[in-house]
Formats: sequence, structure tokens, C-alpha cells
Amino acid sequence: MQHSPVPSLDELRALARLQGVDPTDEDLVAVTGFLATILPALAGLEARLGPDAAPALFLPEPDGE
Amino acid sequence: MTLAALAGRIRAGELSPREAVAESLQRIERLNGALNAFLSVRAEEALAEAEALERAPSRGPLYGVPVAVKDVIDVAGERTTAASRILADNVATADAAAVERLRKAGAVVVGKLNTHEFAFAATTTSPHFGPARNPWDTERICGGSSGGSGAAAAAGLVPGNLGTDTAGSIRIPACLCGVTGLRPSTGRVPNRGVVPVSWSLDTVGPLARTAEDCALLLQAIAGHDPADPSTAATPVPDYGRELAGGVSGLRVGVVSHLLEGAIDRRVAAAVEEAVGVLAASGAKVERVDASFLRDSHVVTQLVMLPEAAAAHLEWLRTRLGDYGTDVRARLLAGLLLPATAAVTGQRARRRLFDEARALFDRFDLLAAPELPVTAPRIGEDTVDAGGSRLPYRLALIPYNSPWACLGLPAASVPCGLVDGLPVGLALVGRRFAEATVLRAAHAFQQVTDWHERRPPVAV
Repeated sequence: MQHSPVPSLDELRALARLQGVDPTDEDLVAVTGFLATILPALAGLEARLGPDAAPALFLPEPDGE
Repeated sequence: MTLAALAGRIRAGELSPREAVAESLQRIERLNGALNAFLSVRAEEALAEAEALERAPSRGPLYGVPVAVKDVIDVAGERTTAASRILADNVATADAAAVERLRKAGAVVVGKLNTHEFAFAATTTSPHFGPARNPWDTERICGGSSGGSGAAAAAGLVPGNLGTDTAGSIRIPACLCGVTGLRPSTGRVPNRGVVPVSWSLDTVGPLARTAEDCALLLQAIAGHDPADPSTAATPVPDYGRELAGGVSGLRVGVVSHLLEGAIDRRVAAAVEEAVGVLAASGAKVERVDASFLRDSHVVTQLVMLPEAAAAHLEWLRTRLGDYGTDVRARLLAGLLLPATAAVTGQRARRRLFDEARALFDRFDLLAAPELPVTAPRIGEDTVDAGGSRLPYRLALIPYNSPWACLGLPAASVPCGLVDGLPVGLALVGRRFAEATVLRAAHAFQQVTDWHERRPPVAV
């Protein structure tokens, strides 16, 4: 899948409330602006990463001079 | 006067610590109304500390030098507001590790510097504390999030200061305000006592006029902190001694894609000229295709946004309405991304580490424009980048997120003026190779004078 649709305001509100946060409609409209950019990019990244791509450590390990 | 020169004068007895601090305080008194660089000034305390220093038996390398710190960095007994309503009355009970180290080196903290709210964007236009104003044109932003730091260094309110950098927050204001700023490698400087944005990206670092000044400040604050697990136990070199190495023989890769596309052509030309100066000084310069870095833009967001939301979760639950609208939206975006997003970000980040490591087998340094544009006007949300009208935030991301995502040391060095506004050259080194970055920046500043140009307000 190359594209993740942005959830509806009601879906986003439900997700926020599950985490104890209660945003306004105006807040959620602003969030959709971010998600509309990030979610398709995320989908593209997922498609390019193979199954053997392990995550980075929490911080990159020292390897400098 | 540069920090190095001021420290030298104090050491030579030409100026006392009290006189140096008083001079800085007078300058702040005269100019801060126009710039809003400082959110708080500790005049009486700083003068008393300077007098106490004069009676102390030992003298550190920053003996008597007035400095300031971004208002996300704790100073015992002072407010750390993060330019937010939520922390407006938050008084720190202890010094941040970096402040402890500055004091140990003999510096005197004269105040706290303006920042974007919670250091979480790049304009420093807090709805609660007002915008920091660019000394080159006070109708323009300083960048951010360490905007007060950029303004204070450019206007000479203090000879050097500390900011923080998550995805560009030292380098952006350094560039837009025409000073030198260094993001150290992630893990080089303790974050203990600093309001977090994103634990795996945040770092404290210096802003000042010159690379030599930044080296002095970094020397004071770098190194492992047993009380901070985010710091690395990597040895700290003598940055001052290594400055003199020059760039002869250094292999410098110029990141091609950052000089093309959405960039003001005049900015690109200034950076090309700066790269030519490095070549003329003996560096082996060649263009390099590093287009794999394009993934770092989204990877940085995928890592940073959920970490920031996690750091703010309790306040998102209880104080949501107290955030400014832009910061609130970004934190909520982090909260509402799918859980897999952060993991995917870290998986892609690993691949980027591997590709960058291969790149640094071929080069000692990378060079690029620090930003594609000069400082926009306060309130201007979009910029003209090479004929493309882009949101300011999106125009900046490709230029700053790669080095933060990779945890690499990166400096912004003044390298030109376009329409009277500063342009910066980015120099990026291997992990923990701050000495190489500073050495190249210093070599550049030995044969150019962009770092000596002063904004009208500072003359």
C-alpha cells in the first residue's frame, strides 16, 4: 500500500480520548494538516524498508574519531 | 569583542570579571527592548558572582566571561519557562549539567534567552513571551528554536551562549543571525536539567561569533556525565589545540542536492563561493550525491513527534489549552501517529546510519547550505526558495534534519549576506568529530570576514 488516508476528525478524537486527551475540532483540523504530509511519506518508507531492517538503538552508538 | 578575546583580556587583568559582566548587563539593558532576546536577566546575582570569582583562588578558562543560556536550560533559583505558559512560574532547584560546567570553567550566567515555546519549532515567536527579533532587521525572525541565542550573540549582548538543537535549533538561528553555532554530536554534552523535546535527538551546544569561541564553550560543557545516561563516554579532545590544523588535505563532500531545487540562487552562490574558499585553502572538495538523506526528513519527524508527545503527555491531558496553537498541533500529531510510525522511523534511521557511515569513509567533512533562504519577516509563513513558494518550516527541514537524525556534529558558519541578511555554510563531521568541524570553520574564518560583520543594531 502506497498511501495511508488521514483519519476523520471523529476517529482522531477517539484516539486522543483513549489517551486521556481532549482536543477541539480546531486542534484536530490542524493535526490533519501534519498527518496529510507525514502519513503518505510513512507509507512510502514502510514499502521501501525490507523485513530485515532492524531499528536503530535509542541513541546511535559512538563510532567517531 | 569575541569571547576568546574577552577571556584573554580578563585573564591579562585588563578587565575584571565584574567589569565584563557589568558591560554585558548594560548592553542588554540598552538593546533587549528592541530584540527580546532575553526572557530574564539576573543582574544582581551575576554581579555578585563576578565579585566572588575575583576572590576565588582558581581561575578557569572562562574566568569572568558573561554568558547566557536558552530558557529551557536550568539555572538554580531562576525560572525555566521554555517560553511557555505551562512553565511560566517554574523555578529550577538545581543547575543543568551544562550550567554546572560553565560555572566550573569560570563563566557567569547573566540571564535566560528567548526560545520557541518548548523549543518545538523554528521561529521563536512565543505567543506568551513575544518574538525574538533579528538584529539585522528587527521586523524579521531570528529563526529558532534558540532564537534569543542567535540574537544575543549577533548583537553582542553576551560574547557566547548555550542553545539546544533537536532538528536545527542552534544552526537555524546562528545562520539567520550571522553568528557561528555548533550542534555537537548527540551524546557529547549532557542534557540533564534541560526541558526535553526529543530524547534521541536533543543536544545542548554553543552559539558565538567565531568557531574559536564555540570551541572554548564546547570544551567547558562536553563529556560524559555519570548522572546522564544519554551522554557517551567518548574522550573529549583539546578543541582549542586542534583548531590550528587547517583544512589542507581534508576531504570535503559538497552535498549536491541541497544546492539545487528549492533554494534562493543567491544563497546557493554564496555557499558555492565559501566552498571555493575551503578548496583554495587546501581542502580536497568534490560534489557528492547523498540523495539517500532525503529520507531523513520524514524519519526525523517520525522519531521526534512521538517522543515530544510522550514528553508532554501529562500536560496534553491537563493543560492542552495552555499551549500555543502551532506547538499544540505538532504535539497532537505526535500523539496521533500510529504506534508503528516511531518504530518505522528508527528502522529507517538505522539504514541512514549505515549509508552515512559509508559516505564518511570517503569524506572527512560534508558541506552544504545551512538554510535555503534568509530570515523571513515575523508572521510570514511562507518563503520564496528558488522560485518555489514554500511553507517556511518545510523549506528548512531538508537542510537541518539529516545531521540531527544521524547524531552528527554540524556547524553553521556565516558566509555571506543577501539583501543585507546573513547566509550560513553548514559543515558536518563524523560522529564525535567536533574538532574537525571546528577546525574547518576556524580555517574559513581566518581567510574571510563574514563572522566580523555586525548588524546595524549592534554597532
